[in-house]
Amino acid sequence: MIQRAIEAEGIPTIGITLLKEVTRKVKPSRALHLRYPFGHPMGEAFQVHQQRTILLDALKALETVTEPGTILEPGYRWRRHGFGPGP
Amino acid sequence: MGSLSQLINSVLVQLFKHVPWLASCWARRHRFVEGQEIPWAPLRKPLGETRIGVVTTAGVHLKSQPPFNMDDPEGDPTFRVVPSDAEKAQLTITHKYYDHSAADQDVNVVLPLDRLWELEAEGVIGGVAPLVYSFMGHIDGPHLRTLVEQTAPAVARRLMRDGAQAVFLTPA
Repeated sequence: MIQRAIEAEGIPTIGITLLKEVTRKVKPSRALHLRYPFGHPMGEAFQVHQQRTILLDALKALETVTEPGTILEPGYRWRRHGFGPGP
Repeated sequence: MGSLSQLINSVLVQLFKHVPWLASCWARRHRFVEGQEIPWAPLRKPLGETRIGVVTTAGVHLKSQPPFNMDDPEGDPTFRVVPSDAEKAQLTITHKYYDHSAADQDVNVVLPLDRLWELEAEGVIGGVAPLVYSFMGHIDGPHLRTLVEQTAPAVARRLMRDGAQAVFLTPA
């Protein structure tokens, strides 16, 4: 809802979501869904590549999403996906 | 809050963290403010020329600021204003509705300020807005109305004033 209020002011937004069911109901403009546990929207502590990748995925959505209400799903598996060389 | 209810809360936080279908059940049953039309603003410039504002509902704030209200069972609709270049040692999290032990060690897990500044230095983004707006995401009952009518629009106006040209949001 905060995201919707910001978009209504004319500022494009992208939000990470860990709960797709909620996002489908609330309908922000753009969302990136991760099946990650609560408390870990950017991934694991000190995992710089992981955090950076998730952030880049989200920011790029600002350029690539054209359909309001799109929920992107990169499909990273918690603690399984290899994000790159080391932290 | 009595120690029994604290214990129950801790158990619930861990259950919701480790049992994904429980969170899904809750999400399906909980009544949210459902959106109708979807607000939409296009990105006006390439990302490399865009100043990024940041909002979180993970309950982050400066240690010098009053904590979010943990005694009201319906949560807290207020926000805190945190400089986007704050030292990590100045930050803390007040939010009993999720397990923030990882975020306590590395706040980038919920608020990736270091990662944003790196992208700015590399020219991937045009800049990072000077102020982060932080909420505590448990907002229920009458506080939902406060959020929708007062605090969320107030943050939106502030982000405009800060020159944010796009905004990135993280949940707890």
